Amino acid sequence: MTKWVAKGLRTGIKSTRYPDTLEPAPGVSPGRPAGTHLDDDESGARLCGLCPTGALEAEENGVAVLLDRCVHCFRCLRGDAPAVVRWEGDYEWAAIEREAEDARRRLGRAFGRSLHIRFLDAGACGACMSEARQLNNPYYNIHRLGFFITPTPRHADILLVAGPLTDAMRVPLQKTYDAMPSPKRVVAIGACALSGGVFGPSFVSAGGVGELLPVDVVVPGCPPPPLAILHGLLVAVARKPPGPLRSAAPDAG
Amino acid sequence: MPGSEVLLGLFFALCLAGVALACLLPERRQPSVLAWLGSAAAVVLILATGWQLLSEQPFALRLWPMLPYGTLGIAMDPLSALFGLVVGLVFLPVSVFSGRYVLKYLEDYSLGYFCVLYFGFLAALVLVLVASDVVLLVLAWEVMSVLSYLLVNYDDKGDEGTRAGFLMLAMSEAGTIAIVIAVAIVANASGRIDFAGIRAAVPHLEGAAGLTVFLLAFVGFGVKAGLIPLNSWLPRAHPVAPTNVSALLSGVMVNLGIYGILRIDVDLLPPIDVGRGLLVLAVGSISALVGILYATIQTDLKRMLAHSTIENMGIVTAALGAGMVFSAAGFSALAGMALITALYHMVNHSLYKTLLFLGSGAVETGAGSRDLDRLGGLASRMPWTSVLFLAGAWSIAGLPPFNGFVSEWLTLQTILRSAVLSSAGVKIVFALAGAMLALTAGLAVTCFVKAFAMGFLGHARSPDARDAREVRPMVRAPMAFLAVCCVLLGVLPTYTIPVLDCAAAPLARASGKDALVPPFFRLPSAGGEGLPGPFVREFHDLGAQIGREVLPGRSLVVLHRGGERNPVVFAMSTSYMVVVLAILLILAYLAFGRATRRRTVARRPAWDGGLRRLRPQLTYTATGFSNPVRVVFHALLRPTVIEETTEAVAEHFRTAVRREYAEVHVVDRLVTHPIIAGTRRLAKTLRMMHIGRVNAYAAYVLVTVLATLVVGQGGDILSRLMTGLGISPE
Repeated sequence: MTKWVAKGLRTGIKSTRYPDTLEPAPGVSPGRPAGTHLDDDESGARLCGLCPTGALEAEENGVAVLLDRCVHCFRCLRGDAPAVVRWEGDYEWAAIEREAEDARRRLGRAFGRSLHIRFLDAGACGACMSEARQLNNPYYNIHRLGFFITPTPRHADILLVAGPLTDAMRVPLQKTYDAMPSPKRVVAIGACALSGGVFGPSFVSAGGVGELLPVDVVVPGCPPPPLAILHGLLVAVARKPPGPLRSAAPDAG
Repeated sequence: MPGSEVLLGLFFALCLAGVALACLLPERRQPSVLAWLGSAAAVVLILATGWQLLSEQPFALRLWPMLPYGTLGIAMDPLSALFGLVVGLVFLPVSVFSGRYVLKYLEDYSLGYFCVLYFGFLAALVLVLVASDVVLLVLAWEVMSVLSYLLVNYDDKGDEGTRAGFLMLAMSEAGTIAIVIAVAIVANASGRIDFAGIRAAVPHLEGAAGLTVFLLAFVGFGVKAGLIPLNSWLPRAHPVAPTNVSALLSGVMVNLGIYGILRIDVDLLPPIDVGRGLLVLAVGSISALVGILYATIQTDLKRMLAHSTIENMGIVTAALGAGMVFSAAGFSALAGMALITALYHMVNHSLYKTLLFLGSGAVETGAGSRDLDRLGGLASRMPWTSVLFLAGAWSIAGLPPFNGFVSEWLTLQTILRSAVLSSAGVKIVFALAGAMLALTAGLAVTCFVKAFAMGFLGHARSPDARDAREVRPMVRAPMAFLAVCCVLLGVLPTYTIPVLDCAAAPLARASGKDALVPPFFRLPSAGGEGLPGPFVREFHDLGAQIGREVLPGRSLVVLHRGGERNPVVFAMSTSYMVVVLAILLILAYLAFGRATRRRTVARRPAWDGGLRRLRPQLTYTATGFSNPVRVVFHALLRPTVIEETTEAVAEHFRTAVRREYAEVHVVDRLVTHPIIAGTRRLAKTLRMMHIGRVNAYAAYVLVTVLATLVVGQGGDILSRLMTGLGISPE
C-alpha cells in the first residue's frame, strides 16, 4: 500500500493537459487533409477522382476538403497521387452543423461541470467506439472536466453517437433520444455518423445520424481521436469554439 | 337479547337446515343456500360468541351422561368464544364468496354434496370449540378432519390432488391417534372426562406421564397447525383444494391446532416446566422462518399463501411458547401479555389470510392463473381486487397501520421481555428465537412485495392476464369486509386487547390487560388505579388522555410499564400514528404540489434498453425477484437444477437454454422421506415371510399361538383351552 502511494507520487500526473494547453505529444492524431492550393486544374480533378468518399472538391485555385466525408484513407497523400494535399496535425476538429448557438450556450451554462453522456453505437465498425472508450482512461480522464459516461439515457444530457445509422439501430436510437430529459444535445462522431462514410446512404443505412435526429455538434474523423471527441464535448458545452467543417483551398501556397 | 346458549342452538339448527336443504333443493339453488344460510349461521355464531365474550358468563349444557366418568356436554368459556368468533368472522365472508365461486362447479360436480360438507364442517368446527369434555372433543375433531379431507378433494385435480388428500388424511389421523392417547392418559389419571374435573385433578399429573401428555398433544394438534416438522400436508393440500376451502383451512382449521394446544397443554396441564415452553418457542420460531423462506421462493399464489400459513402459525406458537415460559417462571402478567399477543396474531392471521385466499381466488377467476410468473399488470384490469389484495399483503407483511404490524411488534417485544428471566440458557434461546422472528418479519415483506408487485404491477405476462376481467361485486364485498376488519384491528389495538384478555387471562392466571393498555381514559387527572402519580402526570403532559370525553375504552396507547428505573418498557399507538401519518401525507402532497406548480411533467414510455418491443417475458418475474433469497439460503433449500440446452450449428451455438429449479422441502428431505423409506424397507423385510406355502403359514399360526400363550399368562389360558377342547389337563 505504501509502495503504491509512493509509486503514484513518483509517477506524477500523466493525464493530458488539454484543454488548458494544446497536446504536444506526437501520434495523438492521425492528422487530416486540408484545403490545398494547386496551380493546375487537371491534377486537382484527378485528385478528386482518387477520393473514395468524395471528400475532395475541386475549386478554382485548388481543392477544398469536405471534412465530414474524409475517411483518412491517405490516397491523396501517397506517392502515386498527382499532387499531394496539405496535411494538418491538429485535433480540434469538432464543428457545428446546425445553427443553434443560443440553445447551445444555455446548455453550456447549466451543465458546464456535470455533464452525463450516453454513448450509442448506431452501426459503427468499432473504431469510433475504440477511440471513445479511451475517454475514460487515466490519460484522457474526462472526469476531471466534469464529464461522465452513464449507462442509461434517463440520466444523460448528451447523446454521443457513432456509426452510419443502420436500419436495425434506427428504433433504438430514436427511443434513446426520446428517453433523455430535456435539455439534451446530440454529438455525432466519425465520418459514418456525419455522412455515411464509406457506406453512404445505402439499402441498410441512412447515411448519417442527422437523417433521424437533430445533430448539434459533429466530430469528423475516421475515427476521430479521443482528443477530437473531447473537443466535441467541450464545444457542446461552449467551453471551446468550434472549428470549420469545410477546409477551403488557400489562395496561394 | 337471548343468551348465547340459545344463539348457539340456533346456529346448530341453521347448520342442520343447511344440510337438509342441500339434500332437498335442486342443484342451481344450492349457491344461494350456501351464501345466505352460511352467512346467517356465521352471523348467529358471531353474535353468540361475541355476547359470550362481552358478558363473561360461561355456560354449560350437559348432553349425555357417561357414568362414572362424567357427562358429555358443551360449554363455552372465553377461550372457546374467542375461537368461535374467529370462525364466524371467517365463515361470513367465505360463505358470501362461495355463493359465487361454486358456480364454476355447477355442471361437473354435485353442489348439494359440497353444501352438506360445508355445513357439516362448520358445525364440526364449532363443536370442537364448545366441547366441554375430551370425548366429544376427539369425536368432533375426527369429524372435522374427515370433512376437511373430503372438502379438499372435492375438486378432482388428478394424481396430485389424490396424493395431497391422502397425505393430509394420513397425517391428520396420526395426529388424532396422538391426541387420543394423550386424552386417554389424562382421563385415566383424573378419572374424569370433562375439562372441569380434569382441571381439578390433573395438577397431580407430573413427571413422565405429564410430559408424555404434553408432547402427544403438542404433536397431535401441531399437525393441524402445520408446525415444522408436521407441515408436509399443508402446502400440498391448499393448492389442490377449491379456493374457498383453502381459505377455511388456513383461516380457521389451523387455528384449531392452536386451540388444542392451548386447551390441553396450557389450560388442563398448567405449564410448570420452562423446558416445555422453550420447546414450543423453538418449534414456533423454526416454523416461522422455514415457512416464510419457502413462501418467498414460491411462484404459485396459493402454495405461497400455504407456506405463509406455516410461518404465521409459527409466530403464534412462538408467542405461546414465550407465554408458557413466563408462566412457568412465575411472571404471570408477562404470560398474559404473551398469550394476548399469540391470540392477537392468530385472529389477524385468520382475517388477512382469508382475505388473501379470496383475493387469489378472484385472481384465478379473473385472470385464469395463479402463477405469479404468468400474471402481472392486473392493477389496471382488476383495480378493486388489487387494492383489496394490497390491503391483505400490507397486513401480512406486518406494516402499519394494518393489523399484522401490531401483533408482530407485540411478539418481538414479548420476546425481548425475556430480559427479566434469570437463566442465561433460557435467555439465549429467546434471543435466537427473536432473531429468527425478526428475520421472518423481514422476509415476509419481501415475500408479499413479490406477490403484489409481480402479480398486479408491470406488464401482463400471459394473454389471459392481459384480458383479465374484474370480478363481481359479490366476490369483492367479502374481501372488502375482511380488509376493513384488518384496518380496524390495526388502528384500534387498545380496544382489541381487553377482549383478547378475557380469553387469555384464565389461561395465564393473570390479566395482561393492565400491563399492556394503561387505563388513561378512566383516570382522574393524576394518580389512581395503581399507576404512580408522576407517571400519569408525564403522560398527561404528552396528551395521552385526549379524547377521554368522547372515546369509550381505556386509552389509545399500547404501553408496557416497567419498574422505577425504566418506567416505560415499550409504547406504541397505531391510532395516533394513523392520524399523524395522514396529516404528514396531506402536508407533503400539498407542499410537493406547490413546489412543482410551475413544472411541466414529460411522460415517456419506460426505458426498455432500446428494444423494438418490450416483451413481458423480459420483465422482472417473481422467480427473479426472489432469487437472491434462493441464493442466500442455498444451503437450506438445496434446489436441484435441471438444465436443458438446445444447440445448433456445430454444437457450440446455444439457441435455447431452459432451466428448471425444483426444491424438496427441507422437512420432506429430513423427516418425511426417511420415514416413508424406512416404512417401505420394513414392509419389504416383512414381505419375505410370504413364501406361498400352506405349511409355512400353518407354522406361523402355531408359533404365534405359542408365543401368545408364553407371553400372556400362559398356564391359565392353556388349561382353559385344553378344557374347551375336551382334553383333561391330567
